[in-house]
Amino acid sequence: MPRKAADPIRFAGIGVASGLGHGRAAFREGLFAGRNVFSKLTREGREAPEGEEPFLGVEMPEPPQVLPPRIARTATLTGRVAASVLAEAWEDAGLDAIAPERIGLVVGGSNLAAREQALALAAYAERRAFVPPRHGHMFLDTDLCGLCTAAFPIRGFAMTVGGASASGAVAVVEARNAIRSGRVDACIALGAMQDLGAHDLQALRALGAMGSARFSEAPEKACRPMDADHDGFLYGEAAAALVLCRESVGLSKTYGTLLGAASIADGTRGPEPNHEGQVRAARMALAEAGLTAADIDTVNGHATGTPSGDDTELETYRALKLHHARINATKSILGHGLAAAGAIEAATVLIQMAEGRLHPTRNLETPLDPSFRWVGAAPVDHEIRHALKFSFGFSGVNTALVLGAPEASG
Amino acid sequence: MAHPLDSDQIVDIIIGEIRETVPELADRPIGRADSMADLGVDSIERSEIILATLEAVGLKIPMVQLHGPRNIGELADLIDAKKSG
Repeated sequence: MPRKAADPIRFAGIGVASGLGHGRAAFREGLFAGRNVFSKLTREGREAPEGEEPFLGVEMPEPPQVLPPRIARTATLTGRVAASVLAEAWEDAGLDAIAPERIGLVVGGSNLAAREQALALAAYAERRAFVPPRHGHMFLDTDLCGLCTAAFPIRGFAMTVGGASASGAVAVVEARNAIRSGRVDACIALGAMQDLGAHDLQALRALGAMGSARFSEAPEKACRPMDADHDGFLYGEAAAALVLCRESVGLSKTYGTLLGAASIADGTRGPEPNHEGQVRAARMALAEAGLTAADIDTVNGHATGTPSGDDTELETYRALKLHHARINATKSILGHGLAAAGAIEAATVLIQMAEGRLHPTRNLETPLDPSFRWVGAAPVDHEIRHALKFSFGFSGVNTALVLGAPEASG
Repeated sequence: MAHPLDSDQIVDIIIGEIRETVPELADRPIGRADSMADLGVDSIERSEIILATLEAVGLKIPMVQLHGPRNIGELADLIDAKKSG
């Protein structure tokens, strides 16, 4: 049994946005159906270089407008999506019950609105004297903090944290720390939508991290985490807000408990994954939870679909002896949300916990290592008591979260 | 060369930019005697409106040269004078 914390930290609200649509209902439906949302990217500013195949990935529908029109017109897409997932999580958790000074916000992600900045740069290249003054604060990621705290009564603190593709999970860790330190009673961890532009997409393609053009005529087959035919990750627009709070704080909803969490540096400068760092993060999170890997019944991988990333992660699963656990890969459905990934995948674990089901893993036809208990093309009924959620980021960021079902926490 | 704009046409451009920037003012009558601050336009929005107006009339001058006007009519007159001057 997990060690019983004096005042454990739990998840009391969720808001999500992805290619599956906006809100938990659309998310749940698409997730368990394993619905395909991959296609050629068409959002302005994501064009491939001339003569090359278009980029593949996932784009989301226009978010519901929760900001007043006067504010919305000056907000980036990333900002409008952040406000939308925050609104859903806020209502879900009933955050109005908490004093504004006791609520914090941690936004995970950096360089979030790169596509819109590139478009603005191009639009004003020949007329720089007329650059709108608002761009002077909109280029900062903390603009999201301003938008969110202006629209919602959050007065404890607001900040951004960066952890590359692990940013969403790092936000969860920092939200937990802020509650534990006594700074606030409830804290929102928001994995922001990373709005990639053509320059970033091409750089990721050149780096060999992003999926090749091999499946350009069959986008639904291109994203293949942990499958023998994988050849890189595919970008997917996503965002999620998770409300964390102290058990004693009096919010009624409980999706699950954060039993342990770790975020460590492994000393890598570039994109290379690091097996030792991954194992160390998992062991730290498990130790904090008072559990061992044998107690973990479900793993939600980072599982991007890059050859070196998947191989390294499998080595980590083997080192931790996770052969008994069920494992699925959420990026096979949503694509890789980069800054948002850790948050929306943690939300996925919590939603699976509530449903007693695991979502399918798309395109897992020939598992790289068949000795693990993968969830394949069909969803499976499965009671989650203790789940391990991995998120890794470029430049040596390794995170692990141990999530417990509400009844498993006490 | 298009016919040069006069002060009243510049007023129309400013009012169009105000309505664009502050959607709440879409249906409110606005005229030369109104000041943007009194209409509830904040300072960043005022700068945005003035810059957009300068671009629309083809005038490239530092914003500091446009301090002083107390209402939309005076702002239009000043821009008109800078254009001619």
